[in-house]
Amino acid sequence: MKKKILVVEDEEGLRLLYEEELKSEGYEVITARNGKEAIEKLEKEKPNLIILDIVMPVMDGMEALGKILGKDRKIPIILNTSYSGYQQDFMSWAADAYITKSPDLSELKNKVKELLERGRVL
Amino acid sequence: MILAGGRGERLYPLTRDRAKPAVPFGGIYRIIDFTLSNCIHSDIRRIFVLTQYKSTSLHRHIQFGWNIVSATLGEFIEAIPAQQRIDEHWYQGTADAIYQNIYTLQQERPDLVLILSGDHIYKMDYRKMIAYHIEKGADLTVGAIRMDRKLSQEFGVIEVDKEWRIIGFQEKPEIPKTIPEDPEGILASMGIYVFGTEILVRRLIEDARSESTHDFGRDIIPAMIGKDRIFAFDFRIGDQGESGYWRDVGTIDAYFEANMDLISVTPQLNLYDPQWPILTYQSPHPPAKTVLLEEGRVGTALNSIISNGCIISGGSVIRSILSPRVMVHSYAEVEDSILMEGVDVGRGARIRRSIIDKDVHIPQGMKIGYNLDEDVKRFTVTGSGIVVVPKGIRL
Repeated sequence: MKKKILVVEDEEGLRLLYEEELKSEGYEVITARNGKEAIEKLEKEKPNLIILDIVMPVMDGMEALGKILGKDRKIPIILNTSYSGYQQDFMSWAADAYITKSPDLSELKNKVKELLERGRVL
Repeated sequence: MILAGGRGERLYPLTRDRAKPAVPFGGIYRIIDFTLSNCIHSDIRRIFVLTQYKSTSLHRHIQFGWNIVSATLGEFIEAIPAQQRIDEHWYQGTADAIYQNIYTLQQERPDLVLILSGDHIYKMDYRKMIAYHIEKGADLTVGAIRMDRKLSQEFGVIEVDKEWRIIGFQEKPEIPKTIPEDPEGILASMGIYVFGTEILVRRLIEDARSESTHDFGRDIIPAMIGKDRIFAFDFRIGDQGESGYWRDVGTIDAYFEANMDLISVTPQLNLYDPQWPILTYQSPHPPAKTVLLEEGRVGTALNSIISNGCIISGGSVIRSILSPRVMVHSYAEVEDSILMEGVDVGRGARIRRSIIDKDVHIPQGMKIGYNLDEDVKRFTVTGSGIVVVPKGIRL
């Protein structure tokens, strides 16, 4: 069965890009535009992994991260952001990986693969 | 971070309307005053008190009584109710309570975090423990008190090597690991922890993401043994009372005994040390007063603690603790009892070995504590025969 990935990203262009790229890797992809939607999708869709942007309207990724883990403590989460400074935030340490956005998606794809194959590493 | 969210179920009905840290103690204090006073005297003035159940009276006490530090200097004593920011349930364990407040910790970003319980009565200089933590280069230091090994089933028991590095932890064991140089003694965890902030956060997150009861004693410490530098700190070194006094007062009987200790000639817990006063909130009541000196109608108080605002008018009080605003009317007798704020003992009433909670009015001539078979029909009576009359009851 295909692994299901939830992409949480407020920028439409990026959302589409991630969706296409990850689909071409053979994953099923669902998307959410902010943290609040992500939590709703988490409960309905039961994804296997979450890629989470941080700076988003309605509910940001750092706030959503805690709430997601409150509902599913085991789900692998990749923080995917344009800013490296959030690594200073304690809550970011609860993510399985912290990736700074880049036009080259290979780091993100490798991390997705690794986490889905190997399971969560803490 | 002071954990003040426990239910205190074994103190029921004293905890029916208030959290355990807010339970009155020693006439004018609340249990949490001892821990908060320790903090202030240890120069710790950035304090979060984490509350959850029935926290109204605790919040009020902290707001009224502990508004004594300077916000201008960045100091605070702040009660934080469970906010359910991360999780939509109550705190699951002691570690979960801190994890749920990770955003709060984030805002302060201290170098070290001292985690305390708001449930215990003792006098301790935390600076000595913190100095020890730094000197040892520890990731975690756990406060430990020496106890007789026979008591092992009541405590988390710490196993240490010769350098007092923690190598094992047993939760309420039947057969405990004893102290290296003392085969009859154990080291009991006092629920006092000094952590480096980063290691604390990392271990809390790991714990939050795994199957666990989310408790420092049961989960965090065992997970850190062998992996991190964790040490035990001997309470004897930090004990400001120098008597080894530390009480959990987890049950009504233990609570009663700990109060009664205060009226002995030389209590184990000295409230009169000018170097270490116990701070609290007190309303501005007039001084305590005894009146009437007539044949057979003398207002007396012997071997007792009488708080401000009390009037003993032609009745007698012996070996008892009276909180503020207690009124004892003529021919009434109070013996071996704890009377909380606003209790009114009517003319000719007799009270013995009882705890009367706040604002209860004892009618004229009523007897409590003299016939336990009768008392148990209306009140809580403990195993050792202490009668507890709950707050607000109409008699």
